[in-house]
Amino acid sequence: MPTVSVKWQKELFPAVEIDTTQPPIVFKSQLYTLTGVPPERQKIMVKGGLLKDDADWSTLGVKDGQKLMMMGTADEIVKAPEKGPVFMEDLPEEEQVVAVGHSAGLYNLGNTCYLNSTLQCLHLVPELKSALLSYTNSGRSNELDQYSHLLTVATRDLFSELDRSIRPVAPLQFLTVLRKKFPQFAQQQNGTYMQQDAEECWTQLIYALSQSLRSSESSEVPAAVKTLFGIDLVSRVHCAESGEESLETESIYALKCHISQDVNHLHEGLKHGLKSELEKVSPSLGRSAIYTKESRISELPRYLTVQFVRFFWKRESNQKAKILRKVDYPLELDVYEFCSEELRQKLQAPRQMLRDIENAKLGLKTQDKSNASKANECNMPQPEGSVGNQGEPSSNSHDKANSSDGKTQLTGIYDLVAVLTHKGRSADSGHYVAWVKQESGKWIQYDDNNPILQREEDITKLSGGGDWHMAYICMYKARVV
Amino acid sequence: MAADKNPSGSAGPEQAPQKQPPSKEHKKKKDEKKDEDLSDEDLALKQQLELYVERVQDSDPGVQKLALESMRQEIRTATSSMTSVPKPLKFLRPHYGTLKEYFEKMPESDLKKYLADILSVLALTMSAEGERESLKYRLLGSEGDIGSWGHEYVRNLAGEIAQEFQKRQYDDMPIDALMELVQQIVAFHMKHNAEPEAVDLLMEVEDLDLLVEYVDATNYKRACLYLTSSSSYLPSPDDILALDIAYTIYIKFEDLASALRIALYLDNIQYVKQVYTSTEDLLLKKQFSYIIARHGLALELDDDIVADESDREALQDIVNNAKLSEGYLTLARDIEVMEPKSPEDIYKVHLIDGRASASSSLDSARQNLAATFVNAFVNAGFGQDKLMTVLSESSTGGSSGSWLFKNKEHGKASAAASLGMILLWDVDSGLAQIDKYLHSTDNHVVAGALLGVGIVNCGIKNDCDPALAVLIDYINKEDTIIRIGAILGLGIAYAGSHKEEVRSRLSQFLGDPKTPLELLVFSALSLGLVYVGSCSEEIAQSIIFALMDRSDTELGEPLTRLLPVALGLLYLGKQESVEATAEVSKTFNEKIKKYCDVTLMSLAYAGTGNVLKVQRLLGICSQHLDKGETHQGPAVLGIALIAMAEELGLEMAVRSLERLLQYGEQNIRRAVPLALGMLCISNPKVNVMDTLSRLSHDADADVSMAAIISLGLIGAGTNNARIAGMLRNLSSYYYKEAGHLFCVRIAQGLVHLGKGLLTLSPYHSDRFLLSPTALAGLVIILHACLDMKSVILGKYHYLLYILVLAMQPRMMLTVDEKLKPLSVPVRVGQAVDVVGQAGRPKTITGFQTHSTPVLLAAGERAELATDKYIPLTPVLEGFVILKENPDYRDDH
Repeated sequence: MPTVSVKWQKELFPAVEIDTTQPPIVFKSQLYTLTGVPPERQKIMVKGGLLKDDADWSTLGVKDGQKLMMMGTADEIVKAPEKGPVFMEDLPEEEQVVAVGHSAGLYNLGNTCYLNSTLQCLHLVPELKSALLSYTNSGRSNELDQYSHLLTVATRDLFSELDRSIRPVAPLQFLTVLRKKFPQFAQQQNGTYMQQDAEECWTQLIYALSQSLRSSESSEVPAAVKTLFGIDLVSRVHCAESGEESLETESIYALKCHISQDVNHLHEGLKHGLKSELEKVSPSLGRSAIYTKESRISELPRYLTVQFVRFFWKRESNQKAKILRKVDYPLELDVYEFCSEELRQKLQAPRQMLRDIENAKLGLKTQDKSNASKANECNMPQPEGSVGNQGEPSSNSHDKANSSDGKTQLTGIYDLVAVLTHKGRSADSGHYVAWVKQESGKWIQYDDNNPILQREEDITKLSGGGDWHMAYICMYKARVV
Repeated sequence: MAADKNPSGSAGPEQAPQKQPPSKEHKKKKDEKKDEDLSDEDLALKQQLELYVERVQDSDPGVQKLALESMRQEIRTATSSMTSVPKPLKFLRPHYGTLKEYFEKMPESDLKKYLADILSVLALTMSAEGERESLKYRLLGSEGDIGSWGHEYVRNLAGEIAQEFQKRQYDDMPIDALMELVQQIVAFHMKHNAEPEAVDLLMEVEDLDLLVEYVDATNYKRACLYLTSSSSYLPSPDDILALDIAYTIYIKFEDLASALRIALYLDNIQYVKQVYTSTEDLLLKKQFSYIIARHGLALELDDDIVADESDREALQDIVNNAKLSEGYLTLARDIEVMEPKSPEDIYKVHLIDGRASASSSLDSARQNLAATFVNAFVNAGFGQDKLMTVLSESSTGGSSGSWLFKNKEHGKASAAASLGMILLWDVDSGLAQIDKYLHSTDNHVVAGALLGVGIVNCGIKNDCDPALAVLIDYINKEDTIIRIGAILGLGIAYAGSHKEEVRSRLSQFLGDPKTPLELLVFSALSLGLVYVGSCSEEIAQSIIFALMDRSDTELGEPLTRLLPVALGLLYLGKQESVEATAEVSKTFNEKIKKYCDVTLMSLAYAGTGNVLKVQRLLGICSQHLDKGETHQGPAVLGIALIAMAEELGLEMAVRSLERLLQYGEQNIRRAVPLALGMLCISNPKVNVMDTLSRLSHDADADVSMAAIISLGLIGAGTNNARIAGMLRNLSSYYYKEAGHLFCVRIAQGLVHLGKGLLTLSPYHSDRFLLSPTALAGLVIILHACLDMKSVILGKYHYLLYILVLAMQPRMMLTVDEKLKPLSVPVRVGQAVDVVGQAGRPKTITGFQTHSTPVLLAAGERAELATDKYIPLTPVLEGFVILKENPDYRDDH
């Protein structure tokens, strides 16, 4: 009976006797008592491979004092979890969008970047999307012309396709309808479609949508576009000569930021834009006189659109020229000073509430800071990140979408959510790009079919003064309480 | 006498300014004015010499003899320094012709020989190019002490001998007289610190054996160093001869460790055994065993080598690398990097500028797979990690292996195999931990576990052959993936071992035309690995038959490109031996013929630095191909594989590749980053890093992916901060491209390979020896990366584990006579090339002093900073045994 030593993991069992008259299974059970490894899981290395249970010891030539090696554990065998994980790659394409974190880009169909950028900016407004969704194909009322209807349908379809796809989308259908509805966008030069002004496209599109969505009877929110984008102005028209004064009201969809020599900041530009001089016939004087018109905002929208008046008609050269002047704009815009007295009164309470909430947050924040003093230095997207309320508006917007508004109140404070920029020296050339803030708080630059992640601090650098992309239209979202 | 004088401006200093200004005229009239320019002293010498010349032609032998004697005296005293033509020689120049004429007329006598001596010296400056008169008169002369005429004379003579030798060989003339002279010159050179000249001369006259007689204990090291380093520039078979001589010399002077290095370089088992038997010192034999283990040579020690059985067992243990894991962990503990790292610690997302890619709540299978690899590479050999091993301790079946099941299908195979990588070299506990996965019901997991068994045993040999015993049962199972796992596992575990059992079992797959293609490829690869560099006819035959049998469509599969690689591995570095097989390969199917031809050639000459082959490959790259041909990719890789042998060729190859990048076609450009990665593997040279960084943004996806992987290769195991930063930026740049991102992750894992303790470089021992198994592993990866999309990014990602063959700790661990780690101060610095330098030059520069164990980066060298111990090997790398210095006296 040879005696062998058996090595198992890091242990060595010296002097294990082998009864060569018995089959190896006996030896295995010997080892079972030593190691606790069940015989069927023991792997014992002998000459010519593993020791089989029915092998014959004599053929294996086990010598006295030989070192055998045993493999095997008593560990439980790994089992696959009942429910395997779901992998992103397994999802259908639509669901992968969520995982990517932003919607798809739009193919440029030949000088259509003005259109793509406009659509990407408008696409971010969830309320507009829901309003469009409730627009039915048959919901056309008689007063609406056919193309407006088709355009609305096309917009709706395009927006939902953008949400579903992870690959860039080609807005073919939409473009055809748009050109039908507004023939000016079908202008051609040398056989190709011309570059167009994004602002014009924007205005026309909003206008068309406001028409169709208002007239749609099925829409739960009457005049959706008006509440979302419309700004009511009350203007005092005053003639210095005659002392006449009258009040006018009007409704517009964008504030204009006029750029002149002394405008360096959006605020100044807006102030300029709200004050204008016009010449009209004065009934008291019986001739035309200079009137000054000073406007105040009497009603604020959910989404405030600001247009930088960068293009003007240059008479001497007979072309649209561009003002390259740098005009800074803030990530957080307060329009309180442009509001009418009445509106200011209304804003008082919500503003106070907002301030309280923010103070409370700040109080919390200072505590946080003492805990992790360096937390601010790294660029991690933190809940307290630069604007400090990234999460809040979106959740609020959800509330709003569910319940009809009335619970939430405007504060006159707005956060930047989209920038449409133009790069190039004239309106009819160059390149339009949309920079859109996602719900996750990340900024995406939609350069036609190519969405690129951007940093927030780079967004404010689009203020002009060079040949880089410069803001042409900014969209601000109301901060509500 | 002339030594302290300005020889050219023979005019005195006070006269010089006057003569200087009209320099042009001065030159023209120089000859005429020469006499006038001379100082009194020189004039006297000149006249004296002229007198001697006249007297030599005197009829009276007495006068003649005196004149010759005096002339000889003048010359000898003047030739001691050789900064310019000595004056006596200069003044004798006009009379050279006269003396020559007279010499012809002289009758045979001692005097004639005397004159011949003088003429021989005069010919040093006078003889026309190619006349070799110096040599001619030397042979006619008195054969006196050659050194007495000065060093320059000997050098000139040596040059003429070389020319004369060639001529005489060509004309079939006797060379005995020459050889006598050669012996004199060699003896002179060896005595005067001019070993390179002596070696050069002997090489010219093709009689290096002579060198052995003339080296002594003081100069053999320099002579051998020159021999070994010049061998890489010699044509075959001269290089082998030079190394043979070096080996003989080392053996003669009992520098056995050095002799062993040469023996390993020559891949000559006979020599290796001779080295063992040349000493009785067991400790020294242990050191030999360490060197052999690092080289990866599968050596069975027999009775002749060590008689005593227990000693033999101890030595065999070392050769088997059984203690590698222990040493590696000692190093890790000393450097304090035992703490496991998670993939997130490597990605360092927080350092990326606000561009952290969207962290989705869902797992991405590809990202998880990448994390599996990163985890495996980073924690390689440490035995613990944060994904695979950590949960197994809780021993609740459900939760353990939860990471494993976060991978999909083939991913699970890679995940299970990663366990093998984490437990690398630790066979005992490695096999125990992998065992439970072998009982899984999921075929992918079993396959991965089998591969893991192979990985754990990589480079480790064991008498019980656990890997073979476990794996062999699985290679005939039903499921293809299980079989692949077992086959690849065998290949990795027994790489370079020439194991007969593996061959007999795997050959059956090659012969069977019904074998699925992937199985065939993996069997061939495994055989290629096991029989690397063996020139095994039998295996070559079966692979060739397989290549011939397969249909066109199968040959078009992406995986097929690895079949020629498997064939080439059999001839890795074996140069001409490949020719027969290469000839056969010409008859292959069009589709694979050229690919096979180029691959075979590049592998056979890999690591040889053969310039002619590099040129041929460059020639192939310069052709513009019809569509569909792919053999330029391996040609580019071949340039790197061949040129990496030595530093100069390497630099040149880097420059040629830059050229290829500019003018080459797309399939060449795709291979260039990989070639660069191979050239600078684990050696992040800044210029290569910049090139690769540029290419990593290339518009062509294949180029950029290859560049990204190569960034990982050149930084492998270095923790290089710059590359790590580049890769981080790339990870945010490519956050949307799944394929690129996967490559970035793999590269990140490679850069932090073994937390910076490992290297992928196949070169070791002062960049002299090339480990064939390591090279084989790298070659397979490079070829697999040529078609990244269908191989690495497809379902064959587990091929990446083949890199384990090249993984070695880049450590220097000193052990005492009982092989216990011993900490001693060492200086680590940049290696300096000391070939051909006289005296004892510094071998390192810019050094820092550390205490062992230490890490050695590429191009670094270590030397002991204490006299207390004597290392048993001249090259301080890997395990180094230290012996106490008996002469050491503590100063305090």
